[in-house]
Amino acid sequence: MIHQESVAEHDSTIERPDVSAPEPWSFPEAQRSELANGLGVVSYDIPGQYVISVRLAVPMPLEREPREREGIATIMARTLDEGTARHTAEEFAELLERKGIALGASASESGLIVDVDVPKRNLTEALDLLSQAVREPAFPANEVSRHVKIRLAEIDQERAVPGHRAAMEFISTYFDPDERASRPTAGAKETISAITPEDLIAFHSANVVPSGATIVVAGDLSDLDVVSEVERALGSWREAPAHILEPREAARATDAERIVFLDRPGSVQTEFYVGCPGPDRRVEGGWAAYPVLGFVVGGSPNARVDAVLREEKGFTYGIRSGFRPRRCGGMFLASGSVRADSTVEALGLLLDILGQARDGFTEEETRAGVDFIGKTAPGRFATADTVADEAAALSLEGLTTEFTTASLLALADVDAEALATAYNRYVTGEWTVIVVGDASLYAEGVRGLGRGEVTVLPA
Amino acid sequence: MPLDYQIAEHTLANGLRVIVSEDHSVPNVTVNLWVNVGSRHEVEGRTGFAHLFEHLMFQGSRNVASGEHFSALMAAGGRLNATTWFDRTNYFETMPRGAMDLALWMEADRHGHLLDAVNQENLDNQRDVVKEEKRQRYDNVPYGNALIDTYAAIFPKGHPYHHATIGSMEDLDAASVEDVHEFFRRYYAPNNTVLTLVGDLTPDEGFASAERYFGPLTAIAAPFREPVAPLAPLTEPLRDEHMEDVPADRLHLAFRLPVDDTPEFFASSLAIDIIGGLATSRFYQRLVRREQIATSVSAHAMGFVDGVSLGFLAIDVADDCSADAVEAAACEELLRFAAEGPTEIEMESAMAQTERGWLSALASQEERADHICHHAMLQGDPGYINTFLDRLGEVTADQVQQVAARWLMPDSRAVVAYLKQDGDAS
Repeated sequence: MIHQESVAEHDSTIERPDVSAPEPWSFPEAQRSELANGLGVVSYDIPGQYVISVRLAVPMPLEREPREREGIATIMARTLDEGTARHTAEEFAELLERKGIALGASASESGLIVDVDVPKRNLTEALDLLSQAVREPAFPANEVSRHVKIRLAEIDQERAVPGHRAAMEFISTYFDPDERASRPTAGAKETISAITPEDLIAFHSANVVPSGATIVVAGDLSDLDVVSEVERALGSWREAPAHILEPREAARATDAERIVFLDRPGSVQTEFYVGCPGPDRRVEGGWAAYPVLGFVVGGSPNARVDAVLREEKGFTYGIRSGFRPRRCGGMFLASGSVRADSTVEALGLLLDILGQARDGFTEEETRAGVDFIGKTAPGRFATADTVADEAAALSLEGLTTEFTTASLLALADVDAEALATAYNRYVTGEWTVIVVGDASLYAEGVRGLGRGEVTVLPA
Repeated sequence: MPLDYQIAEHTLANGLRVIVSEDHSVPNVTVNLWVNVGSRHEVEGRTGFAHLFEHLMFQGSRNVASGEHFSALMAAGGRLNATTWFDRTNYFETMPRGAMDLALWMEADRHGHLLDAVNQENLDNQRDVVKEEKRQRYDNVPYGNALIDTYAAIFPKGHPYHHATIGSMEDLDAASVEDVHEFFRRYYAPNNTVLTLVGDLTPDEGFASAERYFGPLTAIAAPFREPVAPLAPLTEPLRDEHMEDVPADRLHLAFRLPVDDTPEFFASSLAIDIIGGLATSRFYQRLVRREQIATSVSAHAMGFVDGVSLGFLAIDVADDCSADAVEAAACEELLRFAAEGPTEIEMESAMAQTERGWLSALASQEERADHICHHAMLQGDPGYINTFLDRLGEVTADQVQQVAARWLMPDSRAVVAYLKQDGDAS
């Protein structure tokens, strides 16, 4: 045991150290090529990353789903590896696991992403299995019906979780009912239940094609010839190009500016989901200001929203806000939950804080936000999976990680005035507000705030 | 494959263990501190205190204003947080190398001189925040309290792991400023802490900075205690049933497991994967794929130090099926596994997936630093990150079978069932 006299009262105040400027850093450099079949190949050599991350991104806007089969892109993604031309579902799962391969797939508004993580020495096997899943899925009836059942159970689970419930109600209130965006990406009960193996086969062959798709390979690529590896696995993949739809912005509903209160009796917290239009990444004036705004308004415990609702009032564990770009257009969103009996005061404060931000931001806030976004980038993009995810997501919007680099460089020009201009351009007070909580106790109070028409619905 | 992450260690005169892992791949440094206090050290009537205390560590200290830990480090490009768990509390930040000294200065200030800033107002505020954390994560979501019920069922009253880290509302209400002072003086000290620095620095630089900022901190009388006596598996099943407004019946099957960092724990962890964790697991193949009486299965082995660990499997029952039938099938599979042991392919699969998971975890400086602190503090071995896979690879199929036959038998299960209020579909 060590004993030493406490000298704390005399010399413990060590001078606060200065912060020196960060070393230069740039986003990992991409090597790009294209196979004869139109598949783009992008690789990032990141030394020391022994798990290789592979992402195959296939542009496939959700609007391609038949209206009465919505969710088919998600069911397709989930069944790609559940039986192929050469292997049953169980055999395929075993082939993946014996090589330590994690393979998953999901569909978003802009496309399909199949993701594979694998220890470097098994990359060849992983690419072969990825190729089989993408090119030769068999969609066995038994596996399809099983995944339909799982999705139906998942819908019940989502409805029961207030955050999910709020998000679902938000899109159906915010978007025009004719827009695909107004309905859940993964489909609703009626449309999911209708999906057959034949539907999946047809949807797959029309949409999952190499032309326009991109495969991203990131990790420690020393001694690997990535293009040859990809060529061997996917070079013989030939399908006619899919019909290209020009992206357009989904229309907002004519009555979107209102409050929907979903009644969830007995809730000990109330969930808020508040949003208005925002930009996409190609916004005039540049994207750089928007992540900074997200941070300054609602990205940390000391940001505008939580400085009051969490650190001053103790109403919440945290409410977060940020700009969410879509392929075309986007949204500004703030969401989180508050103690039930603070519902009315907290919603009023939240809308006030978001509104007052239109008056502008201090130099100190601006500098902190710009530095946070810029100086955290080396850490945020230090691993193979984060680099691969960024590249794959951007590819679905027709962008490359040059966009990431350019946005980081453009931070140098983001000042308080640029923030105010960017914020005011979109956040004009026309909110769509979803509240999930006990309506019998708080709906009248929310009405009394005078922030818009309030509709009460069962949750 | 052999791993060779650099590890250098030095202990300051006041007992602070400092570990540096040099890695220049990114111009960042991760600072990670583990304090050897968690909810297992809490006394009756003060559950949830270690975690509430962790929140107060962000409310200012002698030379740091309330909230400044977040604001100053984030403005310098830092990403940071802290967490509390049964065995320990950790504090961590990753930032550009040029902000490392600021981070260490701020950490030393709160780890040495927190009490100068603690007052009733910030205690009350963070108590409110923690209560909202509890409501958000546990009380306002379906099945939110299932893990809390699981700990209470499988570990006896009075055992360090009987209560969850989040604690109870009553105990949170009872916490006083005096408790904060007593807790800090008892547990927060350099000789009850491990500091790990990973990233763009040399060991000498790391040791010098640690000495500069943490050297003046004072050691305390040893707060260490021996681990509590080992727990044997349950000898007969326990059941805790909840009829609630949940979307589907869910069963949690919990088992006591051997303490962490032993060949027996590694074997039990592989067994849990093979029974319920893999996409080719016994439960998944039978319950979800073939019979389709369940819609999902998940499984975890949580390694602990105080005489026992925890294994649990969660099963969502399919809409038109009975929870009892699912449980009976699960028990059959447990018996079969204990009798037959794993196949060669199952061993290969569980090893391969554990390897990928481990390499992915070590791929980020943040997680690597956390694993180094973990094993330096709780097992005394900062080099664990390099040797774990080799040690796991030594586990045999026979060992997996033996451990399953002792710890993972149906009679040793505690079942926490959340059943739909409108009656079990049967």
